[in-house]
Amino acid sequence: MEYLKPKKIEEAVTFAEKRDQSLYIAGGTDLSILFFDSKIKPEVLIDITDLEELKILEERKEGLYLGAAVLISQLANLKTKKWMPLCLTQGAGAIGSPQIRNLATLGGNICNASPCGDTLAPLVVLDAVFKLRSTQGVREVPVLDFFIGPKRTIRKEKELLEAVIIPKESLTGVSGFFKTGKRKGQTISQVNSAVYIKKEGGRVSKIRIAAGSVAPTPIRLKKAEEAVIKGNLEEIESAVMEEIKPISDIRGSEEYRRIVTAKAIKEMIVTLLKEDSRNEN
Amino acid sequence: MKEKEYSVIGKRVNKVDGLELVTGKAKFAGDLRFPGMLHGYAKRSEIPTGIIKSIDISKALEAPGVHLVFTGENIPGPNLIGILPPFDQTLLAKDRVRYAGESVAFVVAETKNQAKNGASQITLEIEPTKPVLSLDEALDPASPKIHPDGNVTFSRNLIKGDVDLGFAEADVIVEGVYETSYQEHAYIEPEAVCVVPGGDGRITIYASCQSPFHLRGHIAANLGQPASKVRVVQTYTGGSFGGKDDVAVEIGALAALAAVKLGRPVMVNHDREESIIGSNLRHPSRIKYKTGAKKDGTLVAKQVEILLDGGAYASESPFVTMKALIHAAGPYRIPNVHIKSTALYTNKTYSGAFRGFGVPQVTFASESQMDELAAKLGMDPVELRKKNALLPGDSNATGQVFKESVGILDTLQVIEREREKLKEFKGDDHYLYGTGISSMLQGISNGAEGIDVVGASVQMSQDGSVLVGIGLTELGQGSRTVFAQITAEVLGVPLEKVTVKTVDTDSVHDSGPTVASRSTTVGGKAVLTAAEAVKESLVTMAGLMFNSPGAPIVLKDNFAILEASPEARIPLDQVATAAYWTGFPLMNLTFSKAPPSNYDHDTHQGDIYVAYNYGTHLMQIRIDRITGEVTVLRHLACHDVGKVINPKGLEGQVEGGSLIGFGLAHMEKIVHSPEGRIINSNFADYAVPTIKDRIPTEVVSIEKPTSNGPFGAKGVGEPPVAGTASAFANAVSAALGKRVKKLPVTKEDILILLSEREKK
Amino acid sequence: MRIRFLCNNEQRDLEIDPSLRAIDLLRDTLGLTGTKEGCGKGECGACTILVNGKPVSSCIMLAAKLDGTRVETIEGVKGKDEELHPLQQAFLEEGAVQCGFCTPGMILSSKALLEEKSKPTEEEIQEALSGNFCRCTGYGKILKAVKKAGQLLEEKR
Repeated sequence: MEYLKPKKIEEAVTFAEKRDQSLYIAGGTDLSILFFDSKIKPEVLIDITDLEELKILEERKEGLYLGAAVLISQLANLKTKKWMPLCLTQGAGAIGSPQIRNLATLGGNICNASPCGDTLAPLVVLDAVFKLRSTQGVREVPVLDFFIGPKRTIRKEKELLEAVIIPKESLTGVSGFFKTGKRKGQTISQVNSAVYIKKEGGRVSKIRIAAGSVAPTPIRLKKAEEAVIKGNLEEIESAVMEEIKPISDIRGSEEYRRIVTAKAIKEMIVTLLKEDSRNEN
Repeated sequence: MKEKEYSVIGKRVNKVDGLELVTGKAKFAGDLRFPGMLHGYAKRSEIPTGIIKSIDISKALEAPGVHLVFTGENIPGPNLIGILPPFDQTLLAKDRVRYAGESVAFVVAETKNQAKNGASQITLEIEPTKPVLSLDEALDPASPKIHPDGNVTFSRNLIKGDVDLGFAEADVIVEGVYETSYQEHAYIEPEAVCVVPGGDGRITIYASCQSPFHLRGHIAANLGQPASKVRVVQTYTGGSFGGKDDVAVEIGALAALAAVKLGRPVMVNHDREESIIGSNLRHPSRIKYKTGAKKDGTLVAKQVEILLDGGAYASESPFVTMKALIHAAGPYRIPNVHIKSTALYTNKTYSGAFRGFGVPQVTFASESQMDELAAKLGMDPVELRKKNALLPGDSNATGQVFKESVGILDTLQVIEREREKLKEFKGDDHYLYGTGISSMLQGISNGAEGIDVVGASVQMSQDGSVLVGIGLTELGQGSRTVFAQITAEVLGVPLEKVTVKTVDTDSVHDSGPTVASRSTTVGGKAVLTAAEAVKESLVTMAGLMFNSPGAPIVLKDNFAILEASPEARIPLDQVATAAYWTGFPLMNLTFSKAPPSNYDHDTHQGDIYVAYNYGTHLMQIRIDRITGEVTVLRHLACHDVGKVINPKGLEGQVEGGSLIGFGLAHMEKIVHSPEGRIINSNFADYAVPTIKDRIPTEVVSIEKPTSNGPFGAKGVGEPPVAGTASAFANAVSAALGKRVKKLPVTKEDILILLSEREKK
Repeated sequence: MRIRFLCNNEQRDLEIDPSLRAIDLLRDTLGLTGTKEGCGKGECGACTILVNGKPVSSCIMLAAKLDGTRVETIEGVKGKDEELHPLQQAFLEEGAVQCGFCTPGMILSSKALLEEKSKPTEEEIQEALSGNFCRCTGYGKILKAVKKAGQLLEEKR
């Protein structure tokens, strides 16, 4: 097996194009396990962890620009920064353990596309856009179009996720994240969820609710959002329960997932509504 | 009586073998490296039960790096293991498999990956037969027989008095059925052995294990060699809790057979998945319990039927069955008791020894009953237990009378006091609160399981340093430190001058397995006696050196001191040198034998244990109404330990055992698929508590010394598991206003229950 | 392929197979068996090492990724003048070591924490050690040891 470490992003996608059986690898916290267990046998590993273009983390005209190789720990450490959406930094901070977070990347969490990925629901409520690059050029895909099934995305084999863009208007407002697992530390989500709220003139002008691990991909909960817009907070729980489609598996029962998602989302909304919006328009 | 002033006993000393551990220098079995070392890996059946039609190893033999492949057909030796009779287990399954994960072939290669790859090239043809997967299926006479004699592994009765008469006298009766689930040891070091053939026709097995002599016997038998040709050395062991001996025999024997055949060292180092699937688990239980009492709370009768799921092979089921039997009645005075305890075979990974050994399961049932009884009587749960608590001179469930060292009432009094100090919380929209207590007992020493003998040696060199040898193993529980403390105390030397030998079957004496919380008590007693013999030589010699033969002499602070005029003192190394040259023996090998158990095998009435540890636990919890998550606000574990030899070590044992009990009660459960395969054989899906899940255990010790233990000490390794699990169940029951009948009661169970209630 | 990295302050220059795991490079190639394997899936933390001062799971890391980094294993943890590091001292004194298998990983994760915060709160310690499993101690004395080590380090400053 060959290991390549390109210095520029064009090199990376060119390597991938030229070589069959090649895989991009960043932190490797998901991929390495499959590889060490001989469940996947790539001929080439293309290590993209240190590509400059993938490590950018800055506020740009169009919004927040996060390179795909930004470490999960880096994101998590930005929890106290007012310009970082809280749901995303909280989601990042809830992944695994410090040892995992110091290796794992945002791009990895996204491309692995596990239904329980903790950055996914936050990215959904932030209306994130994913920038993909290949030798054919660059394209941008909205978050909800990106995930098509458990561990399946529309990213083509040779495409490299280059960056995540959080649109400018998602950077004002308040957001929150919730996760629960079988234990309190080092745990995979049984369910997770994120809420984004923007208030204008004391009223909710925008609300987006997303949940993970309750469907094949992270999903928006439109019925629950409607209930909030209408001001019918008592309907949130039943709206959530109707919309989500959790299954029972080794991590949790369908019944538990349904109940806890509904309660947690309701609680999050109530709490967020009490907070003053930051940078209110 | 004045409390004796000790130099080292009762002091907060550091673990004597801790330095190597904090520096990373300590070698565990998987850390050993020998020239020419090969690696072994087993091929396991994925089918839970069936007839082996064929095992095709041809591709494995051609695989890169592979040197050797054994199957049940071509393995030399008897191919037989098992901790106890009926010795019904093979090293490699030959005609049939009985659980998913059972080893059917063994591959040896240059690297572990190559051995693993070789194993994956083996094709198994197994004709599946109908698996027996539950207690009810095992009991059903129509079910297939897992072993020739049927599906009952072992069954025994405990009969005291007459329960029918007892219940007739009862004013109040409570009945219930209680269940517990599979728990996995989850020691952080998976099982590992490294076998090295010697040039002298002998063979050495370095093993992570609890009972090296047990290993030696079984491995020698499988090699067709006399035990004296086999040497087992216990390496630093990364936790065991009862879980490693079955596997150490299995992989030790397989590696030894390969090492002999190839003339090269062979290592086997289990993956975590292999450790979970291929090594013993805690017996799940279903316990039917009936308690009768008078309206003033006096217990009059208990009738208990215990069913334990023993899995595919006997392992330690017979002993666990007996221990459950003996402890099910609890630490109470009851005139009429009838208990039946049965272990059944099923086609799953075999159940065996796990810290607690049947006591956690029955204590959960028994203590749930006590709370239910208290509720029915309108009595305070502490009062009810106090009223019935065993006192010195009482006859316990086996009719054994202890005149000393019965501290259960004292522990209840401590808990009663502490309960008053608990902060009161009022439930609200977000949180629910509850408090629970439990009382328990755990027999110390082998008891009904056999003769309890320990051989210990103490040897002083001319420079005044001391070497202690004993066949009991250090597993992290601090036994080495305790033995060093005892020796240092008796001989008056500083702790740093005492070394406790590695447990090497060539150089220490067979002291039985390191189990049953017996190390401090029976082991310590042997060390004490051996040290006293050496002391006698030193005292006699010092007497001569003082020119006062026979005068009272004290050994303390590294000196021999004339009691009559303490300024007269001689450094101990000088006394030792003089003793050596004068011909006084400076070494002693002693056997300490616990008073043998002596009981009727049909009724289990008689003297069984040398002492019991008693305990009462208090737990206050808070439940989050949104997630069902439980936070333990306060946990107090109060145990009568006889005498605290090492307070730090003791606290560590109680804190550690308590968290395992908490895991059993709340977080952990090994789950099988409907077909009988374990589906959560990794740490992602098996919820071992992390530091964020810890409970704030506070340790309080009561000292009611036993003359059967050194300085009065009893063991405490196992008791906290039962105490914590039961107190938790009672706290949750109190919080929910509904009796918890099944463990683990997880946050999922709690939230679903709360949600059902909301709907009404 | 060739990798160069600093291991416990010693420069290393090695030819390795790209498929090698970092943990095997340390334990087998370099003979540093202080780093342990408890699960092989990055769950239990027994394999924790510090790379550029940050704790990572060496069992799910390609050895290739160590190139150009500064690696610390338990063998490199010491105090001044060959003494024990305050963490090692505190773990011993507080009884935070029982079987010792989780200890190297615990100490390294704790070291990284204390280098960032000398007076961590209990919550911060729990978060920092959330990926280091211990089955023997119940964690109580580990918490105490980390707090004590923090104090000892403060005193030394």
